[in-house]
Amino acid sequence: MKKLVSLVLALMMLLGMMSLATAEGKNIPTLTTEPMTILLWDIATEEPTKGIQEDAVARFMADYPNIKVEQVHLQNDNYKQQLVIAMSSGAAPNMYIHWGGGPMAEYYKSGFVNDITEMFAKYDHPDYFDAAIAQASYQGKLLALPFGGLSGCALFYNKTIFAECGIEVPTTIDELEAACEVLKANGYVPFALANGSKWTGSMYYMYLVARHSGNEQFDAAYSQANGGTFTSEAFVWAADKIQDWVRKGYFPDGVNSLSTDDGQDRQLMYDGTCAMMLHGSWQVRSMRTDSVEWYEENIDIMPFPKDAEAEARGVDQHVEVGTAIGNGFSFNCFNEDGSVNQPMLDACYVLATQYYNDSIYNDKQMASGTIPSIKGYEQLVEEPTNKKVVDIFFNASNVQLWYDQYLPASVTEVHKNSMIELFGLTKDGAGIGADHDAAMQAALAE
Amino acid sequence: MQNKTTTVGTLAQTRAKSTRVAATVFLLPTILLVAVYIIYPIFDTFYLSTFKWNGLNVKLMENIGLNNWKFLLTDKLFWGSFAHNLVVMVCSILLQLPIGFLLATFLDALNKKKLGGAFKTIWFLPNLMSSVAIAFLFTYALATNGGIFSSLATLINGKRTTIDLLGRAPHALFTIIGIMAWQYTPFYMVYFIAGYNNIDVSLYESAIIAGATRGQYIRKIAIPMMGPIFKTACTMSLIGSLKYFDLIWNMTQGGPNYSTELMATYMYKLSFNQFNMGYGSCVAAGMFILITAIALLFQKVFVVKEDY
Amino acid sequence: MSTIRKAAEKPVADEYRGSKVKSTIAWTFAWIFALFQVVLALFPFIFMLINSFRKQFDMLRQGVFHLPDPWYFNNYVEVVTNGFFGYFLRSVIVVAVSLVLLLAIASCAAYPLSRMEFKLRALLYAGIVACMSVPMHVTLIPVFKLTQSMNLYDKLWSLVGPYVTFALPMSVFILVAFMKTIPKELEEAAEIDGCNRFNNFTLLILPLAKSGLSTLAIYNGVSMWNEFAFANTLIINPGNKTLPLALGQFKGEHSLDIPIMLAVLTLSALPMIILFIIFQDKLVKGMMAGAVKG
Repeated sequence: MKKLVSLVLALMMLLGMMSLATAEGKNIPTLTTEPMTILLWDIATEEPTKGIQEDAVARFMADYPNIKVEQVHLQNDNYKQQLVIAMSSGAAPNMYIHWGGGPMAEYYKSGFVNDITEMFAKYDHPDYFDAAIAQASYQGKLLALPFGGLSGCALFYNKTIFAECGIEVPTTIDELEAACEVLKANGYVPFALANGSKWTGSMYYMYLVARHSGNEQFDAAYSQANGGTFTSEAFVWAADKIQDWVRKGYFPDGVNSLSTDDGQDRQLMYDGTCAMMLHGSWQVRSMRTDSVEWYEENIDIMPFPKDAEAEARGVDQHVEVGTAIGNGFSFNCFNEDGSVNQPMLDACYVLATQYYNDSIYNDKQMASGTIPSIKGYEQLVEEPTNKKVVDIFFNASNVQLWYDQYLPASVTEVHKNSMIELFGLTKDGAGIGADHDAAMQAALAE
Repeated sequence: MQNKTTTVGTLAQTRAKSTRVAATVFLLPTILLVAVYIIYPIFDTFYLSTFKWNGLNVKLMENIGLNNWKFLLTDKLFWGSFAHNLVVMVCSILLQLPIGFLLATFLDALNKKKLGGAFKTIWFLPNLMSSVAIAFLFTYALATNGGIFSSLATLINGKRTTIDLLGRAPHALFTIIGIMAWQYTPFYMVYFIAGYNNIDVSLYESAIIAGATRGQYIRKIAIPMMGPIFKTACTMSLIGSLKYFDLIWNMTQGGPNYSTELMATYMYKLSFNQFNMGYGSCVAAGMFILITAIALLFQKVFVVKEDY
Repeated sequence: MSTIRKAAEKPVADEYRGSKVKSTIAWTFAWIFALFQVVLALFPFIFMLINSFRKQFDMLRQGVFHLPDPWYFNNYVEVVTNGFFGYFLRSVIVVAVSLVLLLAIASCAAYPLSRMEFKLRALLYAGIVACMSVPMHVTLIPVFKLTQSMNLYDKLWSLVGPYVTFALPMSVFILVAFMKTIPKELEEAAEIDGCNRFNNFTLLILPLAKSGLSTLAIYNGVSMWNEFAFANTLIINPGNKTLPLALGQFKGEHSLDIPIMLAVLTLSALPMIILFIIFQDKLVKGMMAGAVKG
């Protein structure tokens, strides 16, 4: 019955969107009839992403036969390096993927990004939710169009182990710590973490800072103005908490040498060593791909517990960590003399808003377990853990983009290294905070 | 090619001229290729090292003279990386060459075609695998969860014991050095086998006929004969270690806490990840100067008797 | 090796007569060492092979040192049906062409540097050493620009230039060492017999340097076969990509199928191993024959 209701709901939603798409007065720029070639770079090297994105381009080229889109799939690992090489050699793509944050600002400042604020206000576009638009903007200008779906940060837990140990799902950090003690007593390591990848440990740090101070202290530290610093109370508190947890054995031994790229954190979940894992919500898809039976039998998701003490102080407990932009496309359509190549920019805009991000594209994304950053789709999610991800995400008062994508690139390097120091107990919260401050000041001085 | 037998001046001049012509012809293809693909990029690197530039738009380069170089001289991360490179260099020469030579000597002394071939093929396997595969493999072999060493220690200790080789400061570098030795020793083995084969067989025969043992043959004849071969091997290992990149990048990316950072990984991060191409080029240029100087110094200091 | 030593069989037996005990001990240690090396070298390879026959979930759950349970062959099917042979063929072509060019050009350069006396020799030799010291990543951007201006971007042939050139300095360096060990009396004798320099080079020096050439062929063959950075920078169309880039197909931003990647890596390593077994001695002899005839 429930399924039927959601099916009907889905159909209605779809019809609604389709009627919108086929409406007469579709307000999009009229595209040139001259021949044109657009060079597009993405990182869709593997299925199903590759097929979904190639289909969007193919449909665009069928509708506009005079425009040729050269779609190039690059490998994610070396993508940023390839972009540097292409830009410095004057061979930059006209439309390219990125993750927002510091690098997007860098590309923009170097003149490889068109400001599309006006076009976005003037023409039709997908109804992105606010956090996605915020993360695609820099200094009030819209610089990218999201297309890769959102990624939240989810606290996965093994419900079988929880039941076996008689643990209720914790709602506060105190309860979480109590749960960890019970897990330890039962021979489990509470958290599966592979911190060799550094951004994995960063998730704990980001969430603890967010729970303790909302966005306030991070925003202050980011600007380094008005006494804002990475050594402020929330940062030190979060670092102390983590180091306390490390000392108590809440993380696996040798946590700094495990690598998430090699699946070593999932391994700790699969072989029953650990009971919880804080990770990106894409792990829903990864773990389901590995074994859907095991996943459905054992795994559930909970929101990151609240900091009761901070909540009492009135600190917002709905700041979540993740990316709303997912992957965004920026456009690099300029003429030789530096003026905007409007016909090409129009074409890119139509491609990114009407073919990527249309209902055909988004349905395929949903089917592959990716949730578009567009209002309405959260209603259509059926998979129970993904549904929780979406609920958490859409109830967020603010979505903090991963520090390692949000910070300027040089600070990111320091931040990642700090996570090793933090979990390795070689530097405390004040120490890594000072390192962050120094790097941030240097970056701001540029 | 001085010809001692020639006494007539004009003939010697003709010979010298023909030598010049022959040398030019033989060297031309190399010089052309190297000029295009190597020398030009090196000049480019030195040029870029005088700019503040994020590596993206060539129109936004800002000439800052020698500021990058001044910073380089006192850059702790750079000199720390250089120190790591030196450690890698010394350890690599001390590990890879002797083991490679022992393996080659074993095969030479064994002197059985089929068995020797089997040994050689198996021993060479590490060198045939790509760094990606090796990195993956050792990440698991050294893992604190279910890796070889941790499992062995747990077995011996009788309780869960963790041996963390990659996650802690001094250990990580030496662990990588060990893996590098594993990967590159087979190459030096093949190289020294070639060295043995290069020795004229009559030398061996006459030594044995003169009553020498195999050990004496190796010590008194083979090793001195291979002087230039050893020197080349050392130089290669030296240069290779000083510009090493692969496994570090695939396994630790310089971590934990910069303890495995090498000059090449540092340069790469600056240039391509941190939008600091100007300073990254400066690091690359500094690295080039250091490596060349050390390599040439080694050529001067380490003199071997050459048959030339 | 054995052809060279076959005359020496009898003296080998003689030499142990005096110190049989000592020699037995030495050989015992040598064998222990040799077998230890066999384990060291084989173990990771077997690890790679075994894990390519299982599903990712099983691998992670059972641990990577567990035998496949159940054995799973679909990884290979997946790899082979995803254009593996195309990647393979292109790699073979690039490596073969680059290797032949490299050996020809390197031996040409090593000859005058090792066996002729002329003014710039020391300088050129130092230049070769300096070129070996160049970190390859600084050349990525210049080589990229160059490739574009030569209209070779995204073509298989764009790889030949960098592959040959970046292997050149070290190859010349090694060959010089090998050619230096050839006694110069041989060359003088040949000259008296009326050989010119070119004859000397092809008929005398090259055949005598063949063990050096075979080492180079093996070493550079392997590194070209596994080369990633240039291939990834200069080639973007899947129809032009080489084997090391085939891994990318099974690896996304957040997804990674390790056993499939191990299957690709195993399939990439196998041809090299087979070639090594078959041609470890013959490879260079064949090349020599061609060079002498030509």
